[in-house]
Amino acid sequence: MTFSLITESLPALLNATLMTILLAVISVVIALIIGFFTALARISKNKLLKGIASVYISIFRGTPLLVQIFVIYYGLPQINIEISPIPSGIIALSLNAGAYLSESFRAAILSVDKGQLEAAESLGMTYGQALRRIILPQSIRIAIPTMSNTYITLIKDTSLVSVITVTELLQMSSLIIAKTFEPLTIYLVAAAIYWVVITGFTLLLDWLEKRSSRHIMQ
Amino acid sequence: MKVINLENITKSFADNHVLKGINLAVDKSEVVVVMGPSGSGKSTLLRCITSLEAPNDGIVTVGDYKVEAGGENERERKATIRKLRQNTGFVFQQFNLFPHKTAVENVMEGPVVIKKMSREKARRLAENLLEKVGLADKCHHYPAQLSGGQQQRVAIARALSMEPMVMLYDEPTSALDPELVREVLLVMKDLAKEGMTMVVVTHEMGFARDVADRVIFMDRGVIVEQGTTDAVFNHPKEERTKQFLQDVKNA
Repeated sequence: MTFSLITESLPALLNATLMTILLAVISVVIALIIGFFTALARISKNKLLKGIASVYISIFRGTPLLVQIFVIYYGLPQINIEISPIPSGIIALSLNAGAYLSESFRAAILSVDKGQLEAAESLGMTYGQALRRIILPQSIRIAIPTMSNTYITLIKDTSLVSVITVTELLQMSSLIIAKTFEPLTIYLVAAAIYWVVITGFTLLLDWLEKRSSRHIMQ
Repeated sequence: MKVINLENITKSFADNHVLKGINLAVDKSEVVVVMGPSGSGKSTLLRCITSLEAPNDGIVTVGDYKVEAGGENERERKATIRKLRQNTGFVFQQFNLFPHKTAVENVMEGPVVIKKMSREKARRLAENLLEKVGLADKCHHYPAQLSGGQQQRVAIARALSMEPMVMLYDEPTSALDPELVREVLLVMKDLAKEGMTMVVVTHEMGFARDVADRVIFMDRGVIVEQGTTDAVFNHPKEERTKQFLQDVKNA
């Protein structure tokens, strides 16, 4: 009985897993871009840019993601901004992860030895050239693999988007449970699927980290 | 003809007066070795020449480029500093090669980014320079795959890639294992023989004896004594110079 329940629900659950992965991948890419530019704003000498970046980071790290999702999906329509569930979810996840990633980027940029900037500037480069050509390529290589905690959190956080009716893995599980009344089995299957996705992703990141730092290791 | 002219350079870090009004002129093709105990201000002096440290006061002139502390508007000043740096090769104690670029890419970087030289032309230039420092076979190695001596020679080639009119060396062999010092000094000697103007902060007395036209002894932010190698090493006049030379010999 239980076994047939699993095999019958699996296609729908795997289908919903695709939505989970899609949400995670799109949000990670957008979050990386947001995080990168926010980090640049944080280290810039422009006080306005710096201020905006700090306020953004503070808000998105200082409030629960669930509240952020509610504000975007249920709150914004009140001022005539209506966004459908999937884009709402992506916006919330990206803005949230972007705030965390920007701190990782900033730390990575600051961790590049100051001799690198001196060497670039000694050749006669502008600060911008030194940043683009010398500092950022090194800090991106340092940062991207070390952000694995944030990526993994982001994959897990996609489950929060189920509350605004996006049919991802958790939402699909609940729908199946509503029909079958088998919460233990179905939630365990969902948990197993999350585990496989996250573990697979972690292995991929480990491999990438080894590969990207191969000739930088001293 | 003067290539470098320093007028009354002062530099303080908070209450610590590192340079107390240094005047120094270096002629074309002259090799000047700067010595002195640690904390004497010799590295700071070198870094003030290219504004890696901004002097609190004084005027630095390299070739046609004149940078005055606190003078002109900021934008113009920065542009002059960049021009000055493009004409001044700087070699660091810790090499500071770009770890994400191969040896040849390290040397190409300046010409490609700053002079907008084509990549093919820059590559040929870089390969020639690496051959000159004896590393023709290491072009495609990353810094982490090279010994300290090899890294420092790549760093010298990188500094030469901008065709500078003067080379500044900040303790270029201090971070090297003893057996690797010689290969770097040989490259520097060859450059000196070719007529390169050089200012070298170093404790290598052998190098100073072989190539220095002038030795400067610094202590506590001032030039205590200067002259030919023979004058400073064999007939020092100042007590502090005598003491320092004694310490170096006993080390």
